[in-house]
Amino acid sequence: MTGSQPRYRIGVDVGGTFTDVAVVDEASGRIGVVKTSTTPRDFVAGVIDALKAAMSRHRVAASDVVLLSHATTVVTNAILEERGAKTALIATRGFRDVLELRRSARARLYDRNQEPPAVLVPRHRRFEVTERVGADGEVVVPLAEEELDAIVEEIGNEGVEAVAVCLLFSFLHDDHERRVGARLRAALPGVPVFLSCDVLPELKEFERTSTTAVCAYVGPLLVSYLERLERATRALKLPPLHVMGSSGGVLDVAESVKMPVMAVESGPAAGVIAAAFIGGQIDEPNLISFDMGGTTAKASLIADGRIEVTSEYEVGADANVARWMHGVGHPVKAPVIDLAEVSAGGGSIAWIDPGGGLRVGPRSAGAEPGPVCYGRGGRDPTVTDCDLILGYLDPDYFLGGELAIDTAAAEAALREKIAEPLGLSVLEAAAGVVEVVDHNMAEALRIVSVERGHDPREFALVAFGGAGPAHAASLARELGIPKIIVPPIPGGFSALGLVATDLRRDYVRTFHGRLDRVSPDEISEALSTMEAAGRAVLAAAGVPEARRRLRRAADVRYTRQAYELTVPIEDGTIGAAHLAKLAEAFHARHRATYGHDSPGEPLQIVNLRVGAIGVLEGLDLKAGDAGNGAVDDARRGTRPVYFKDTGAVACDILDRDRLPSRGDAPGPAVIEAADTTIVVPPGWRARIDPRGVLVVEEGGDG
Amino acid sequence: MADTAPGAFADDDPVTFEVVKNSLYSMAAEMRVVLSKTAYSPILKSAGDFSCGIFDMRGDMVAQGPDLPMHLGSMPLAVKAVIRAWEEIAPGDVFIHNDPYFGGSHLPDVNVVTPAFADGGRLLGFVCLRAHWPDVGGGAPGSYGVETEIFAEGLRLPPVRLYRRGEPVREVEDIIFANVRTPEEGRGNLRAQVGANRRAAARLEGLARRHGADRLLRIMRGVMDRSEAMMRRALAALPDGEGSFEDFCDGDGILEPGETEDSPFAIRLRVRKSGDTLAVDFAGTDPVVRGPMNSPLAVTASGVYTAVKTVADSDAAIPPNSGCWRPISVNAEPGTVVNATFPAPVVYANHEIAHRVCDMVFMAMSGFAPDNVMACSQGTSAILAMGGIDPRDGARYVNYEVVKGGFGARPGKDGINAIAASVANTANTPVEVVEMSFPLRVDRYELIPDSGGAGEYRGGLAARRVWKVLGHVAEATVCCERSKSPPFGLFGGGAGAPARVYLIEADGARRDLNSKEHFLAPEGSEIWYEVPGSGGFGPPSKRDPAKVRADVRDGYVSAESARRDYGVEV
Repeated sequence: MTGSQPRYRIGVDVGGTFTDVAVVDEASGRIGVVKTSTTPRDFVAGVIDALKAAMSRHRVAASDVVLLSHATTVVTNAILEERGAKTALIATRGFRDVLELRRSARARLYDRNQEPPAVLVPRHRRFEVTERVGADGEVVVPLAEEELDAIVEEIGNEGVEAVAVCLLFSFLHDDHERRVGARLRAALPGVPVFLSCDVLPELKEFERTSTTAVCAYVGPLLVSYLERLERATRALKLPPLHVMGSSGGVLDVAESVKMPVMAVESGPAAGVIAAAFIGGQIDEPNLISFDMGGTTAKASLIADGRIEVTSEYEVGADANVARWMHGVGHPVKAPVIDLAEVSAGGGSIAWIDPGGGLRVGPRSAGAEPGPVCYGRGGRDPTVTDCDLILGYLDPDYFLGGELAIDTAAAEAALREKIAEPLGLSVLEAAAGVVEVVDHNMAEALRIVSVERGHDPREFALVAFGGAGPAHAASLARELGIPKIIVPPIPGGFSALGLVATDLRRDYVRTFHGRLDRVSPDEISEALSTMEAAGRAVLAAAGVPEARRRLRRAADVRYTRQAYELTVPIEDGTIGAAHLAKLAEAFHARHRATYGHDSPGEPLQIVNLRVGAIGVLEGLDLKAGDAGNGAVDDARRGTRPVYFKDTGAVACDILDRDRLPSRGDAPGPAVIEAADTTIVVPPGWRARIDPRGVLVVEEGGDG
Repeated sequence: MADTAPGAFADDDPVTFEVVKNSLYSMAAEMRVVLSKTAYSPILKSAGDFSCGIFDMRGDMVAQGPDLPMHLGSMPLAVKAVIRAWEEIAPGDVFIHNDPYFGGSHLPDVNVVTPAFADGGRLLGFVCLRAHWPDVGGGAPGSYGVETEIFAEGLRLPPVRLYRRGEPVREVEDIIFANVRTPEEGRGNLRAQVGANRRAAARLEGLARRHGADRLLRIMRGVMDRSEAMMRRALAALPDGEGSFEDFCDGDGILEPGETEDSPFAIRLRVRKSGDTLAVDFAGTDPVVRGPMNSPLAVTASGVYTAVKTVADSDAAIPPNSGCWRPISVNAEPGTVVNATFPAPVVYANHEIAHRVCDMVFMAMSGFAPDNVMACSQGTSAILAMGGIDPRDGARYVNYEVVKGGFGARPGKDGINAIAASVANTANTPVEVVEMSFPLRVDRYELIPDSGGAGEYRGGLAARRVWKVLGHVAEATVCCERSKSPPFGLFGGGAGAPARVYLIEADGARRDLNSKEHFLAPEGSEIWYEVPGSGGFGPPSKRDPAKVRADVRDGYVSAESARRDYGVEV
């Protein structure tokens, strides 16, 4: 450690069960993690307690903290639990039902008992105002401003807490929306008003209305939460609070509350950022992140060090119907890290279907009652029970020994419900369940790689979440991925992402034009308006000039398609050469993604995008003292562990904390740490990197 | 049936079986993603009017994607037609066809069939993508004219090669695109179909490489056998019984000399469920009609299959494929509206008869399986097809849209407002997309109060959409049902509101349209489309008055209906 004043970065990730705090010392590159229980009744108190615990454990003075970042589930929870604001919606006359009419397809084809899709604003709080803008952006019917008095009165009588305004074609002509907004704000002080032309100036009225309504619905809650939290962190003399956005990158509180939907996937985004960061630390720019939790598994792809962002997202939908079905959640069109999520995890329940087939999930035992082996009343065998039976998990060292584990109960349940009906041994049944769930989870990896035109064999798999590292090797084999990376703190990994990210604010502007007919000047103009806004945000956040980056991109498609691919635009003044490069990049991307392209076809620009980024100073991680001993010194013992190719074999059990940094542990082996277990199958080897990163690779002499 | 698992995967371990089965289904889902993202027409890219499937070498469907129930019964015939037509099928071949009398459903549904081969050239099976093109020629834009022979309904393409050993067959493409109204759009759609198939065929070939062709083929058969076993069990769990129902369709769209409105025709069916089988007989159903309301038997069967799956497997535990339908028989006399014979026109029947049959099966089974059925849904796909010259750029356009009505009320639950039901699952086209793409303005898109049938559990409301024609004369066709026989309620529940379609001219004059009609919509006129609601379940008098009051507050039910139908004063 140097003699100068220490500088710490702190990240707090509030998850469903645990709150993780990561503390990184910029000078030494050491990471400390503290885990506390999440306090759903008062998130603010929980976050503050966790912060205090972390600062005291790692002896951090508030004055030495240079960055405080936060990932929150407040937005998602408000929607899932229907606890958002009492919201009103104002629409063009004839269209107040757009929010309920949705896209009119159903999520479940044969389910006669299916629930109707949720509607955030009930019909009696949806109002219409006479006005109309046409598809050319011209006013067809002028705004009947005099109708607003009656609407304002009714909104007041209803005790409405937030208002969303979404008029047709407001993305081409925003004057009507702005006038409605001004009138409402003047008449209803204290009631936040969200205009669709601010939130999402893009084509398609349902998606725009839904996104604006979600902002209004969660806005007041997010504002009050962040304001209370910032007051408390300020009282601790900590630096300004930042919030992780769904697209990766943090924002200050003032920017966050302008666009509340940007926090929908705050935690998962932090996890992907952490994966990209770890890859950067060990020179692995091409990664697939794999986060395995209790009920779902998530995957995301990082190509050349860059995360992939999408704007197709539905909040509050089941993971298993999110796959290109119109779901029952609320579509949100805001940049979100491109995650594929499947309903499969440690809590997934194994069952036999009426045809005698072995199924795993989508039902999960969750945290309560949890797997059979937890002894909390769970009777259905889960993936975790099978991991235990196969020897991957140590019954005496579960969660670092904090939980008493009943292996016999897990075996009995698996025997009765799976093994006997299928005529298998208990071990075979457990291996079968794990193989099926691994295959289901591999589908998430396939979606972000193969389906998007990437060859998984050119990527390394970053495995985290408590159970991820136990299953990673099997997934890697399924897709031919040659290398697995297990980060230093897989259990609290997302919190690390919070301190390793940049500041980021995304802007999007609808810009309709055929690429061969648009004027480069108009594109330049639209981009520079957004760039100016981005520069202002970065300046206000105190980012020095040298660390400001502006990334430009366009959403492009063949003129008659409905879905765009996002293609980067190079820096500099836009000219013919820029546009030609843009076209070339689009055709190549289309070919890579879908297997064909049509170079002669005209291209359409649909949106222009600017990402304003404040680059944070780089971090260099270092591990604790790994020592220079031999792998044997890390041996904790042996136990039988089952592998598909070998059956049950006596297997070395190693202690991750005692693995030497130059050692090379051949599989089969199980490496245990307090927050995870890493399975190294026969034919694979594990080594630990000086930065504390564990690398598991196929090959060697095995 | 024995109580233990059937031995369909006796040769393969259950784990490999499950893994391969999941791969087959995710392939079909991936085809859906590729097509949605690359196709050119709103009906495909936004509305999702297409189906994807994986087939064995005999043409039986091993896995259907999460697409349209309407295609459950007829997709296998599309692949079998190719197998029958061509003895020699080689790697790199791609086939195309659309003829309902050779394995198609109606002419706008264009099937692209791609074979998959193991290394060494052994045939593994096929993938097929059936996509509804916005136009395939014929007498009216959208190929939705009221014709009296299939020859007039558009280009009939028997199974022919689109690619031969990897090379495009230009002659075939040229014939196709000389016959459709919007060839550029058609070419884009076709590329998207071929691309999606290529993706799935490659995946199937990869599976063979990984698991061996023998094992893959065995599992493909096993997947169907297992679905059959599961369907038999699900049927066996239902009470045995028999029920029949007679229902009337609005008509075939043809006004005979002297008629001022379309004349109805009858469908009669009897359902008999016994043990692990179910039989549906259409004896007594009316003979083929002159207009395009004649359904190929496979389309009729799709309506039956959708109903049976909803009744017996509501939570979708049974993977949908050809195996599911082996315990179900469908009998209909050739030459009737439910078993069309060449050259009867068919275009409307594809969805309208399938919807009708599905809802009728619920009613026929309500006597012996009352907890497993639902009241009648909208009962129509409610199509509007319009075309003409776009005055903005002088180009020819075709707009094809659907409007959704109610989803029927169920035991213990209200129906659902304005959402696709039974055999259909296409989406609407966003208003802003319609207006940017076509010279039209949508003046209203909203729920219709009181359109849900009254009941202890209220029927779902229908939607109304109104289009104004801008700067040109549009040639339009409407096609819907249940304007005369509104969607029935069950067990004392009231019927949903019937369909109403009318034209309001620029001068305000209103002209009621038949539910199937091909007409000219002058500049400035408005087409009003009010689709049917859905039936209620149980007597309205038993509805919780608090729910009635909440419905009135939200404007789903009027105060007058609350008083009249529910006896609740608001």
